[in-house]
Amino acid sequence: MNWKTIRDLIGVEMKAGRMLRGKRLIKYNTGRNRFFTYLEYGVAVAIGLAVGVLIGYFYNSAFPADIQSQFITVFANFQVSLPTLILVVTLVFTMMQQFQRSGTSFKNQAPYWLPVTWQEHTTASIFSDVLGIPLIAIAAIAPAIIAIAAFTGQLPLAIGASVAMCAAAFTAGATTEVFRILQVRFTGAVYKSSGKAAIWVRFASTLVFFVLFYIVYSYVIYGTGISNALQAVASVQSAAWFVPFVWVGVTLSYFASGMFIYGAVFLILSLLFILGLFYLCVSLNTRFGLYEPPAITVSSGVYAPKTGVLGKLGFAPVESALLRKDLKAFTRRRELISAFILPIVVIIIPIFSSFNTSTSSSSSAFPTQFGFAFTSLFPAAVMAMMLGNFMTGEEGQSIWRIYFSPISAKNYVKSKYAFMLFFAIIILPITSIVGFFIYHPALGTMFTLIAESVFVVFAVGALSLANGIKGADFNEVPRPRMIRAEWSIINLLTCGAAGLAVLAPLIPNVITDVTGIQFTFLALYQAVIISGVIAAVLTVIFYQVALSNAKELLTKAQV
Amino acid sequence: MSTNYANAVELKNVTKRYNELVAVNNLNLTLSQGEIFGLLGPNGSGKSTTLKMLLGLVQPEEGSVHVLGIDAKKDPVAIKKLVGYAPEAPHLYEFLTGIEFLDFIGDIYGMHTEEKRSRINEYLKALQLEGREGDMISSYSEGMKQKVALISAFLHKPKLLILDEPLNALDPRTARIVKDFLQELKQQGVTTIMSTHILEIAQAVCDRIGIMYQGKLLALGNMEELRRMASMPSSGLEDIFLKLTGTGDIKAVVEELVK
Ligand SMILES: Nc1ncnc2c1ncn2[C@@H]1O[C@H](COP(=O)(O)OP(=O)(O)OP(=O)(O)O)[C@@H](O)[C@H]1O
Ligand SMILES: [Mg+2]
Repeated sequence: MNWKTIRDLIGVEMKAGRMLRGKRLIKYNTGRNRFFTYLEYGVAVAIGLAVGVLIGYFYNSAFPADIQSQFITVFANFQVSLPTLILVVTLVFTMMQQFQRSGTSFKNQAPYWLPVTWQEHTTASIFSDVLGIPLIAIAAIAPAIIAIAAFTGQLPLAIGASVAMCAAAFTAGATTEVFRILQVRFTGAVYKSSGKAAIWVRFASTLVFFVLFYIVYSYVIYGTGISNALQAVASVQSAAWFVPFVWVGVTLSYFASGMFIYGAVFLILSLLFILGLFYLCVSLNTRFGLYEPPAITVSSGVYAPKTGVLGKLGFAPVESALLRKDLKAFTRRRELISAFILPIVVIIIPIFSSFNTSTSSSSSAFPTQFGFAFTSLFPAAVMAMMLGNFMTGEEGQSIWRIYFSPISAKNYVKSKYAFMLFFAIIILPITSIVGFFIYHPALGTMFTLIAESVFVVFAVGALSLANGIKGADFNEVPRPRMIRAEWSIINLLTCGAAGLAVLAPLIPNVITDVTGIQFTFLALYQAVIISGVIAAVLTVIFYQVALSNAKELLTKAQV
Repeated sequence: MSTNYANAVELKNVTKRYNELVAVNNLNLTLSQGEIFGLLGPNGSGKSTTLKMLLGLVQPEEGSVHVLGIDAKKDPVAIKKLVGYAPEAPHLYEFLTGIEFLDFIGDIYGMHTEEKRSRINEYLKALQLEGREGDMISSYSEGMKQKVALISAFLHKPKLLILDEPLNALDPRTARIVKDFLQELKQQGVTTIMSTHILEIAQAVCDRIGIMYQGKLLALGNMEELRRMASMPSSGLEDIFLKLTGTGDIKAVVEELVK
């Protein structure tokens, strides 16, 4: 293995972020670049060190003796658990990154014509997976614990924990790499199968994949509903010495408690495991690393253009063409399919948790109404927010087609808005039915909330579309971002505000319901009507903003 | 829009800057109807920028652009409706199949179903894409993608064709077909402006040729006029091009490379 090659490959990977940040590097000036690329890690080390010294100083000067001894035990436990923590964090982080990248994985494929061995490629790939948040975390935590340990006299353990953290991050990176290769391999297999079915297989498998991931993820993060199961997982994990991924942590804990023979055994086991994982990566990469371009035959035979249902609904040919194109994009492009995941997760989670908590339901009106509101209103609103947000950036480099085609701003906004409305509203009956069966709300409540959902979707959708056009990001390297980070935040905040504005007239009714204090000065139907008027006004305003943003977009084709 | 225009394309004192860089410098160009015009020039000389300004994709800082009698600043969509454009890179929707993409283009230009169907089938056949039209574009070769991009420029029978390096990546047979097709369209009064690096094609197809260099139009005219301008009476376009763009010292450059 040539370490210089590996370093160069990692460097390329790091620079890939440039396109996203929009930096323009005019001069070829490596010295300066290197300083800035390592700056964030340097800052992390400095902060970690400072925090560590501060805590150590307090430990020495301010802690009474009994708290000191307590602190030492807690701190030792913390260090022993660090490798596993880092492993989980890195795993979650790199996996998420991989999912986001999956749409363009072929663009990041190994430059196979270069004199680079698969070992070198794999090593570089694992390291660059770990770059960023995981490595910054390690760069901050390691000096911190070493600094504290210098005061508490636990230096060997702290150094061991620091090394173990690196090993854990590497393990996580390697695991992600294995999954990445397999993913490319399997979707590649689906790619190569021909016929329309291939697209549906892809669609369905991506949905299942993401849903499973999000469910596991949200249970791990929030532990909603199945706290019992989580506890079981935790207890299994503590006894999971036979799971290779915790071997690094186990090694550390044996050394910490002075059981050096066991420690040595697990040290050797850990090393063997990491090496084995690495060679698994290399051999998988050697076999499947090269991306084979997909060749899906979607249709064959006579070309018979459709006469358009959309045309009858009052869409101009341009608009219905755009709508049909977007529909195909959202069912065929993996990173777009994920837009449909969140609503599904929002539907599934209450179903799951309703199995667990079926005994203690409907003690008051409060959880019922909120549960139902969450299940029915939230997915549609979020759908409107997300779709509007990236329906423009989704065009990617092909936005040029839109630029030079005779598409007016009106056509553009109308078709995108219609698409967004269609998908946000189509999930409304589904979520409402699910919500109805779980929470059994009163019919009045249900219809109020459905009406409100529609209002919110119209207003928030128009706003997010306006934001999405303004903040669109057409860079596809190294992965499609679709919207610039600052605009995604602006969108989140403004959409939240707009949603609240639409719902505002109902707030007194909600307060009355929850507290029992008579606070209402409007009948429910009056509140709904006012809320509808607010939504209509907002929709018109935001639609106009979207139009003027689109005009600007279409005349400033200088991406 | 107005159909009574004297010139198909009219650029007056057009200047386009990207920050400090002057991409197009005080350009004047007039094309009459039914003309085939070739835009030549070294890399980065401003050809693509000029073509983009015709469609209103890029707004010039100074000067005016009129295409088919329409001001490119005021109503770019009206121009886009009448014009067929093939960009430098094909910019196709890779998740569509060839046929779906062309169908999309047909709809964008408001073509009727029957017309769309017959036209698309004709072109697919002529450019030998038959049998692959049902595959996703992501699996096409570079040349196939370029063919699709060209068909989408021709599909709606535009009055003006703006082609940015149209023969890129095409096989000899297809290149020949496109060349002959352009001549055929010229008989029907279609104006073509294209940029190219293939000098033989410019020499063979174009009625007039403009040579750009650093954003300026160095020379403009038919082959005879260009020869006179370069005072190279019996030379081919290559020698004229090299002389005019000051890149004639090829020999010295090559010697430097070989060293
Ligand atoms: N979006 C942009 N931002 C900044 N500069 C640009 C942009 N587009 C073009 N330029 C610059 O404008 C100049 C002219 O570019 P243009 O694409 O018109 O050249 P060209 O003649 O088409 O070259 P080629 O033969 O390589 O296609 C170049 O120097 C280029 O760097
Ligand atoms: Mg060009």
